[in-house]
Amino acid sequence: MEPIDSQPSATIPPLLRTERRDDGIRVITLNRPDSAANLLDRPLFQQLGNLLDQLETDPTIKGLVFASAKPAIFIAGADLRSLRDTASREDVERLVELGQGTMRRIAAFPAPTAAAIHGACAGGGCELALACDWRVASDHRSTRIGLPETQLGLIPAWGGCTRLTRLLGPAAAADLILKGTLLPAGQALRRGLVDAVCAPEHLTGMAVRMIIERTSRSPGRFSTLPLRRLAAPAVEWMARRRLERNGVAAHYPAPGLALSVICRGAFKSAEEGFRLEKEAIMEAASTDVCSNLIRLFFLREKASKSPDRTSLPGRLAVIGAGVMGSGIAHWFSSRGSRVVLADMNPQQVGCGMSAVSALYRKGVKRRILTDPDARRGLDRISPAADKVPLPRIELAIEAAAEKLEVKQSIFRDLENRTGPETVLATNTSALSVTTIASVCAHPERVIGMHFFNPVHRMALVEIVPGEKTDPDVTRKAMDITRAAGKIPVTVADRPGFLVNRILMPALMEAVLLFEEGASIREIDGAMTAFGMPMGPLRLLDEVGVDVAGHVAKTLAAAYPDRMRSPEILAELMRRERLGVKTGRGFYHHRGRQASPSRKTGWMRRNVPDATPRSGVEIRERILYALINEAARCLEENVVASVEDLDLAMVLGTGFAPFRGGPLRYADTVGPARIVSRLSQLAKSESKRFTPCGSLAAMAERKETFYRDPDAARPDATST
Amino acid sequence: MAGRLVIADGIRTPFCRMGTDLARLTADDLGRIAVDALLTRTGFDPGLVDEVIFGCVAQPAEAANLARVIALRAGIPRGTPAVTVQRNCASGLEALTQAEEKAAAGRGQVFIVGGVESMSRIPLFFSETAARRFRRMARAKSPVARLEAALHFRLRDFRPRVGLELGLTDPISGYNMGETAEVLAREWKISREDQDAFALASHRRAVAARLKLREEICPVYPTDRRSPPALTDDNGPRHDASPEGLARLKPAFDRQCGSVTPGNASQITDGAAALLVMTEERAEELGIEPLGFLAGATYAGCDPKRMGLGPLHALARLRRATGREPADADLVEINEAFAAQVLAVLKALDSKSFARDALGEDRPLGAPAREILNVNGGAIALGHPVGASGTRLVLTALHELRRRKARRALVTLCIGGGQGAAVWLERDN
Repeated sequence: MEPIDSQPSATIPPLLRTERRDDGIRVITLNRPDSAANLLDRPLFQQLGNLLDQLETDPTIKGLVFASAKPAIFIAGADLRSLRDTASREDVERLVELGQGTMRRIAAFPAPTAAAIHGACAGGGCELALACDWRVASDHRSTRIGLPETQLGLIPAWGGCTRLTRLLGPAAAADLILKGTLLPAGQALRRGLVDAVCAPEHLTGMAVRMIIERTSRSPGRFSTLPLRRLAAPAVEWMARRRLERNGVAAHYPAPGLALSVICRGAFKSAEEGFRLEKEAIMEAASTDVCSNLIRLFFLREKASKSPDRTSLPGRLAVIGAGVMGSGIAHWFSSRGSRVVLADMNPQQVGCGMSAVSALYRKGVKRRILTDPDARRGLDRISPAADKVPLPRIELAIEAAAEKLEVKQSIFRDLENRTGPETVLATNTSALSVTTIASVCAHPERVIGMHFFNPVHRMALVEIVPGEKTDPDVTRKAMDITRAAGKIPVTVADRPGFLVNRILMPALMEAVLLFEEGASIREIDGAMTAFGMPMGPLRLLDEVGVDVAGHVAKTLAAAYPDRMRSPEILAELMRRERLGVKTGRGFYHHRGRQASPSRKTGWMRRNVPDATPRSGVEIRERILYALINEAARCLEENVVASVEDLDLAMVLGTGFAPFRGGPLRYADTVGPARIVSRLSQLAKSESKRFTPCGSLAAMAERKETFYRDPDAARPDATST
Repeated sequence: MAGRLVIADGIRTPFCRMGTDLARLTADDLGRIAVDALLTRTGFDPGLVDEVIFGCVAQPAEAANLARVIALRAGIPRGTPAVTVQRNCASGLEALTQAEEKAAAGRGQVFIVGGVESMSRIPLFFSETAARRFRRMARAKSPVARLEAALHFRLRDFRPRVGLELGLTDPISGYNMGETAEVLAREWKISREDQDAFALASHRRAVAARLKLREEICPVYPTDRRSPPALTDDNGPRHDASPEGLARLKPAFDRQCGSVTPGNASQITDGAAALLVMTEERAEELGIEPLGFLAGATYAGCDPKRMGLGPLHALARLRRATGREPADADLVEINEAFAAQVLAVLKALDSKSFARDALGEDRPLGAPAREILNVNGGAIALGHPVGASGTRLVLTALHELRRRKARRALVTLCIGGGQGAAVWLERDN
């Protein structure tokens, strides 16, 4: 799409239409041509402004209803592109004022107004609905209402913070805005965000009825709202403590800013509230955090755009009912596919089915699913404990033990049991897809689809075409992944593929630091302070020391010059300290709690001159090892682009999203600085730090990974 | 008679005693598991199924038209109809014979048929007087009226009526099933020792057949923490069954002079079974290798008080219809509702006077040799989930025919309320 603000308004097609009803109510239907979504951007505000000019002076109008003509979207929110492209402060300010002004006019409209919400109603869309007197939502699945701005480093600044606080009180408003949750219609009604819920067919009628029957705009006589408002200081104190405790406050300014606006604005006039909103968003939007989050949002959108929603496989087979197999079976069944979950041993199938059923129960507990949803999902899984025929299956995913012979024999057998159309995928994390496929009569059908653990939470799937894989098969695997709601990134069939290969040097570096005397708390603390969701040693425990050890061994064999599997891992495996699954690893795990193991002396090498490491040194060693490997992957064309690499690392490892990914972070620090530090380390520590060719060349030429100039701030110091 | 019906394949869940491993599953859960396993194991395209027919005696109130619930949950397309049938203990067989009739009438070619019973889940009922009082309370308009209505309740209103007991009692004669067995034991002079010996043999045969039976069983995966991850075997057959143990049990129905005990009666059990059946023509079209054929079926009525003799009436009718002697059978399955009842049937099969007086036949039907009767044990050991047993008998008999490379099997059941069922099964070896 082209930038919209530079175009003369004459050439912009109408983005909304109005319908005059006999009862004097006007229905304004938003309908952006050639798009599945309605967005709030300058042209729309302009057209809406023009329309309001006419309507405000028309005394025959008894009310306004806002509706959408889209099948699954009311208003998806503000057009983020105008925030991304127009970096200038004045543009952002003008957009905020334009939005606030329009919302203010809707709120002050002489006749009553109502929003008839069917489909996603997020961000700016929700703010428009809040500016109306009444909100009616359809009970359709696609209806989701909320203010997710803080997730992108922004705050609701078109009156959202102020109006939501006035509607629900500061506690409820802070809860919704800080978490950025999108509520389904039923919950929105329960929380008071909407006034009525009905079937989509009755939506407009219901909105009209609200306008005609309930003319009073004041809250009920027995409202506790004034009382609730008094709680604002307490709400602020508690929420801020929570933000500080879970580490959000240190890295993400938006939630804190939103909180101030909500709680300080509670005692001020609406106008004052809008001014606070404007100030806060100007501050939030100017940060790197915000631009990184928005960039990632767009990368994610681009990668998950599915040309065809129908490519979700009707039937698929998952071979192997372990953790990954059952996770994949659960995911696809919950999306609507029928899944044959096969393993050779009925006990193992039973454990897999129990794992799937536990995931469904969790979904019900968290109110993501209803009981019938969960039962239907579970019913879609057909367990099989012997070699059943697999006709009419679109995709077979192998998720068996990471042993080449096992996988090869499964694929030989799968070839015979499935039809010629079936895509045969392996969920291997370290073995070569080409080697696995080499035993097949039709290796062109075989591809790698590497899901991450836990499958239901990790959005990334590495798509790994082997040497002989048919491009059609690759395309089909990508489509299926997108249709299943995951994000595919194509990577080359090299040891460790992309994510594990880049992550592993960092994890191994952490283990080496530990061997050399740094404490678990120091190492993990340094990395969580950087913004990682958990420290590297904790991550090893979560992944499983044995699984990580296996990947490390594969990588060490492939890149003996710079990677080796630390002895500690072998020692931990010998002692059955495999992390979370055995209750002990680097940490002691009790339920969800983990505390660093106290007696760790036996794990360390004897390094008499172990010098205490500073947090900066720990962070540099781990991160620069990671960035160095990332640059190597780019150099070897393991992944197509810088953007794909950053997206994959954020989605696959939780790499601090506000940093924008490892390469974006490298740009922030400056490749030159990284190279010089790496060369230093290569001299003082080990040759494994030697900067790779492309990184060195980049430093030489003073280039950055990303092209846009504002990404590079060589002088910026990392926090 | 019309063409034979092809039984392409079949499967059943393990049968588990009431209140044990399968008790947490509902009837539709059990039926879904069986149908799903059948489709998975055969790889058969559910879109080719013309109708689903399931038998169930105590149809659960929360799954009206149980067969439809099972079909949809098992992934049968929405456009495929489903019907639930009930002929008491032969409900699972009724599903099969109805498929045959529909096929013969040209109303469909491919069917999934089966039977299911969750005897653990048969509900308790309120009495009619209690129900009336509940209704009155629900209709009360004011709190005072509600309180007034509530005061009408008497303690006995809260005593539940046990659904299982009601279901197993014949409303015409007022006899429950065990009492009808006592009638046969008295009239045909079946001793307690003979009954216990028969029951013991049933257990021993079932225990010995464990691996064979696995061929017809699909594992059930309970997914709750208390159960094992996979159930692969029936839990009815007892390794430790002994004559002394059986002799120690007290008669359950006639406590003073009776001889029918829980040990020599069929076990109350949960379970489901399903078969994929179709016309010969369709099987050939789809290139399906039949497990066997249904080649003739009859039902007949008799005295409800002596419902245990139902098989004789059905067998006589079957002989008249097919011209085939029971002696032609390579295998015979008589459902073991009670040891006394099976032994009475065997005696009556050889009785000239019974043939003449009760059946109007000039020669007796002839009892099968014990070596070919219920060779893998029967309901006394495996259990009798009433709606599923009919299907189970057909499945077990066909698998045994296959293993023995034998040709014909005769399957017969007595039916509560005074009926009998009998069918011929064949394999082309």
